[in-house]
Amino acid sequence: MNRIPGLRGWAAAACAAFFVAGCASTPPPTEQMAVSKSAIANAVSAGGAEYAPAEMRGAQEKMNRADHAMHKKDYEDARMLAVEAQADARLAEKKAESAKAQKAASVTKDDIRVLREEINRKPN
Amino acid sequence: MESNRFFPIAILAAAVLAACGSVPTNDSPLAQARAEYSDAQANPQVASLAASELRQAGDSLDKANAASAKGEKSAHVDHLAYVTRQQVAIARQTAAQKAAELDVANAGAERDRVRLDARTREADSAQRSAESSQRRSEASQRNAEASQRNAEASQRSAEASQRQSEESLRLSEASKRQSEASQRQSEASQRQSEASQRQVLAERQAASDAQLNAQSARQQTQDAEGRARQLEAQLKDLEAKNTERGMVVTLGDVLFDTNEAQLRSGGVRSVRKLADFSRQYPQRKLMIEGFTDSTGSQVSNLDLSQRRAGSVRTALLEMGVNEDRITARGYGESYPTAGNDTAAGRQQNRRVEVIVSDENGNIAPR
Repeated sequence: MNRIPGLRGWAAAACAAFFVAGCASTPPPTEQMAVSKSAIANAVSAGGAEYAPAEMRGAQEKMNRADHAMHKKDYEDARMLAVEAQADARLAEKKAESAKAQKAASVTKDDIRVLREEINRKPN
Repeated sequence: MESNRFFPIAILAAAVLAACGSVPTNDSPLAQARAEYSDAQANPQVASLAASELRQAGDSLDKANAASAKGEKSAHVDHLAYVTRQQVAIARQTAAQKAAELDVANAGAERDRVRLDARTREADSAQRSAESSQRRSEASQRNAEASQRNAEASQRSAEASQRQSEESLRLSEASKRQSEASQRQSEASQRQSEASQRQVLAERQAASDAQLNAQSARQQTQDAEGRARQLEAQLKDLEAKNTERGMVVTLGDVLFDTNEAQLRSGGVRSVRKLADFSRQYPQRKLMIEGFTDSTGSQVSNLDLSQRRAGSVRTALLEMGVNEDRITARGYGESYPTAGNDTAAGRQQNRRVEVIVSDENGNIAPR
């Protein structure tokens, strides 16, 4: 009688502990890791290191930490770091593309300005 | 025991409450994410050019808000807020990129417009220069017209002064004419006397012309008589015989090489006399006929007679007689003029006869 409530209490505690542990232990985010690494590669080839060095550094550092977390089987950390690395890499890529487009636009505008000056300089 | 019984549940509740995290403050990552998201949403460029990126950021913000409301771990909420902020930044960059790309596209159109403007200006300026040169040419045409008018005016004034001088000339001429008229009267009477004098001379001339005509008529009859005598003499020279068919000149065998058609020099002389005669009497025609004796075959005799007649014709042609006026043919041993039984007779039969037509060119057929 004395043991029964104690046994029941411990059983409930073990059940809760198991539940909490089960909540925390997500499966390894293998797919997210691959997606993030691919996003970083895309950002590098778009010129992210040149046009968005801070975002690029952040993405690579977070990716390294995600790899480390994966190694420690800290999968939730790994997933979050990988997602953030992906977001950083995509931002770096967009910044590079946007900078290139703006450069092209300014070159074209310059061309037009030169053309217009050239035409206006022509004696009528 | 009672406390023992609820202790694990209390621990569990405490753990769950601890996970529930804190309420976000104003400078928390979630608050920053909300502010940045609503800023981007209010930006029309981002809202229109990066709608799908902005929607992703909104989804992340919803998750972050939900996690915060459920009281999840602050690290998790901060993570979702961070991702939201990065996605808002991505949306802004996407909008800027698309705007720049639109600028480039519009720039192409603007460049075309600038070039078109330039071409329009060039065309305008070309037209202006064309117009100005047209104006210049019109001006020079006007100048030319003006100078032509000046020239005409000066011509008119020159004509006027000429007319004036002509007028005074006419006045002086009129008086001159009066004196001339009286002179003409005296001249007229002089001319009348001259005319009657000329008439006398003309009558005298007519008389002498008539005398000359009479003399020339006499001369012509004398000439005709002379020509007839000459013809007669020439034909006599050719030993022509007057026959029924007309005058006949016989070229004897001795005038040809033996058994050949070639004329000897004596024959050529006779033919030349015929040619001279023919030139003098162009209305008369000549019929040349060749004959042989009966010695040898008929075929060879016909051939020889033809060739002899032909060679006489050729000689006459070479001496300038018109070929229309000469006919030639051979008769072989036909129409002998003597017997073929003696050598003398055979020689007479070997001959070429030239018959001279009458004055109308007629020869009686054989």
